[in-house]
Amino acid sequence: MNVVGKSITALDVKDKSRGIAEYVTDMQLPGMLIGKVLRSPLAHAKIKSIDTSAAEHLPGVKAVITYNDCPGIPFGLGFGQDDWTILAKDKVRFVGDEVAAVAAIDEETALRAVSLIKVNYEELPHVLDYKDALNDGAPVLHDEYPDNIAFTFNIERGEVDEAFERADLVVEATYRTSQAYQAYLEPMAGIAKWDSRENLTMWLPIQIPYKIRMIYGKALGISPGKIRVIKPAIGGAFGAKFEYPLHLIAAILAKKTGNPVKMVNTREEDMEAGNPRVPMEINVQLALTKEGKFIGKKSRLFTGNGARTVYGVPITSTATYRIDALYNFENVRGKADLIYTNTAPTGCMRGFGNSQMTVAMELLVDQAAQELGLDPMDVRLKNAFNDGDLNAHGWKINTCGLQASLDKIDEMCHWKERKEEKSSSEKLDKIQKGMGLASCMHVSGNRPFFRPFDGASSIIRIGEAGQIILIHAECDMGQGQDTAFAQLACEVLGASFDDIEVAMVDTQISSLGLGSFATRGTVIGGNGVINAAQEARKVLMEAAAKMTEKPQDELDSKNSFIIDKKTGEELCTFAEVGSDYAFSHGGMTLTGVGYYIPPTVLPDSTYYGNISPVYPYGTHVAEVEVDTDTGHVQVTNYWAVHDVGKVINPVLLEGQLEGGVAQGIGWALMEDMYYNDEGVLMNPNFLDYRIPGAKDLPPIHTAFVETNDPNGPFGAKGIGEPAINPVAAAVLNAIHDAVGIRFYELPVTPEKLRKALLEKKA
Amino acid sequence: MEKILITLNINGDEHQVHTYYTRTLLEVLREDLHIKGTKQGCRAGECGACTVIMDDKPVNACMVLAAQAQGNTIVTIEDLAQGDELHPLQESFVENGAIQCGYCSPGFIMVGKALLDKNPDPTEDEIETAVSGNICRCTGYQKIIQAIDKVANNEVVS
Repeated sequence: MNVVGKSITALDVKDKSRGIAEYVTDMQLPGMLIGKVLRSPLAHAKIKSIDTSAAEHLPGVKAVITYNDCPGIPFGLGFGQDDWTILAKDKVRFVGDEVAAVAAIDEETALRAVSLIKVNYEELPHVLDYKDALNDGAPVLHDEYPDNIAFTFNIERGEVDEAFERADLVVEATYRTSQAYQAYLEPMAGIAKWDSRENLTMWLPIQIPYKIRMIYGKALGISPGKIRVIKPAIGGAFGAKFEYPLHLIAAILAKKTGNPVKMVNTREEDMEAGNPRVPMEINVQLALTKEGKFIGKKSRLFTGNGARTVYGVPITSTATYRIDALYNFENVRGKADLIYTNTAPTGCMRGFGNSQMTVAMELLVDQAAQELGLDPMDVRLKNAFNDGDLNAHGWKINTCGLQASLDKIDEMCHWKERKEEKSSSEKLDKIQKGMGLASCMHVSGNRPFFRPFDGASSIIRIGEAGQIILIHAECDMGQGQDTAFAQLACEVLGASFDDIEVAMVDTQISSLGLGSFATRGTVIGGNGVINAAQEARKVLMEAAAKMTEKPQDELDSKNSFIIDKKTGEELCTFAEVGSDYAFSHGGMTLTGVGYYIPPTVLPDSTYYGNISPVYPYGTHVAEVEVDTDTGHVQVTNYWAVHDVGKVINPVLLEGQLEGGVAQGIGWALMEDMYYNDEGVLMNPNFLDYRIPGAKDLPPIHTAFVETNDPNGPFGAKGIGEPAINPVAAAVLNAIHDAVGIRFYELPVTPEKLRKALLEKKA
Repeated sequence: MEKILITLNINGDEHQVHTYYTRTLLEVLREDLHIKGTKQGCRAGECGACTVIMDDKPVNACMVLAAQAQGNTIVTIEDLAQGDELHPLQESFVENGAIQCGYCSPGFIMVGKALLDKNPDPTEDEIETAVSGNICRCTGYQKIIQAIDKVANNEVVS
């Protein structure tokens, strides 16, 4: 292959290195105003009255809005809970809840105006922990949900009780995963502008440019067809950048003032009222034979929704049953409740629930292996799926690279040898070393995420000067998706990479696309690009045959030339064919349009049905040093091997994986959002909410196994989310290996570790 | 709120702005002068995305009042490339896969420049220390450290 498999420099990184890539936070429109939000200082309160008069009279203020200025349509994100309003109606439900907003000539004036708005609150009792919210008499957030349970998920396959009865060993543990913050560097932002024909244009850093129109159309009481979303460069997202009230507030302010309005969260607002990871309490029971074969699994989950429902519903179901494609548990039963609390609404973060359950499962498997006296690597090998297997829920695993990833990582880090060395090493040193292993799987596309369809389409044009324009409707948020798509297109077209450009996603131009989530970009978007490129190539070769007066089967394309298939002679350029085509078609550009529908099904009422065209797998090993005096854990070395089906761009792939590992180490050791008793976030900044810095991270050694999945574009599977899934478990298993203590809660901070060491000694 | 006249020397050009006395160098760069290569990440000196070089030292532009920066020489990311030709650090970041979303990149490149201007042959540990005030959520830093190291070792030709 000429382009696929090569470390081609990403299309946008030169501009980014020069500071000339344009992000929404950088954009400036004529007449643009700055908007700011008044947020609730209370976790739970009735709004008795709002006095905006002083704010309205401040010079430079162009609009002040409250709920009464909004259409007043309750809405949700498509999961049944219509628990959103653009601004708070009669009640605030968390510290940071949006109460009112201002548009003014500059930020200083807007902030001054916000401070002049007077709200009369009647404080209500609040509940911060999702388990506490289940107690009798707990404060109720939404009257429609008197038990605070927004959603319950149940799933069962096989003979679970029978499996547990015949098991040689049952292991059980309860884990708690933290409410991590995605910590993208560009805060949530948006610009809204209306024209005189009632069209709303929004410039958004957004992962789902199309779906968001449907939701915002409902919220604003207008047709989604009147909303145009343009997605410039995004300063990171990691799952956070989905529907967000700030965008709608900007739209209402823009409507009221007649000017474009830009809104950007401060970091504090972003942490207090963003949509961080769904925190979970996960109880898992695993039934095994004495040989280490899994024969049954029971799980019970409690998941924290925060004050309104973002993506907690599919995250909760994913957490409960996606893991059933990592190992063959044979008989499974799971139940989960998604629970409202007076804290920030929680949403997607890389891994989408599967990360949380992978932490629990991979810690429990380690414990089970220890109890059976088996190597954790062998236990995983014993329970892996084989190519072509169907899991309990009907998921078709065409290719499973789990075994290959385990074999490869053993080669790289000498897992088995080192483990033997370790068992004979000195145990009394202040610094204790350990190694931990964890595996993972994920999807590449999630059929039930957007019920009407899954799939992708794109348009490829070869212009009169040979310029190739790829128009797609997914979302590059920094992961390099545009570049990977361009590589796939060039490979199919036989084009030079220098000739291709990828258009900015603009819903007025591209077809309907679902965007970036569920690690679907490369596989689903990529297949859409390949199909469009094949269509474009058909037209190209027909036109070339006509032009060169040669039969099509004697022609080929390479490096943006039409060549003689036999001799390799360059007959003409794409530019010559492109101009000949356009000039003989009234200027119509040589175009290919293609689409892809994955071979998946919408699961039935029991959640049976194949949801993804491919399933990526991977295994990680962490090596740690625990300082037994301070409780500090330093990850000193890290190995990660992933089944990516086929490598499309090695450098971009390594970058995704290294970044996922870094985020996972942060989750394992550092990251949680702490609320005080009043529901105020205590660490809403990067000083108190630390994410890993350069000195916190080890050398990360990555490698890939290529399973060439028949459903992947050139065989590829996704990498985005699997990259983070096993990290925290690998680190915690390594800590156990080092000091003999199992932790059941993220993050393992020095305080917790030191306390556990003291308790162990006593 | 009171506005004052501020004169700044940025990338060799003299700029005068009439703006709020409370504005930081970052705010004046971005909001008054529309020089937006310097990114705004936290406005609290905690992420390093707004790093510029002031009198040969890397500073967080969000932690310097614009009025205080008068009389100093300020260099931003826009001054690094010469026309189309990237600075070796920019070239190295590009070639080494050190840039993903790119929002932190100008800050890291400016920190790298300030380091190499002072210490052309830093150890890996010195590079890590130099960038430890900057955060990146995409890359895991490995490729950023390597990119700076390659320039120090003259492995990048631009």
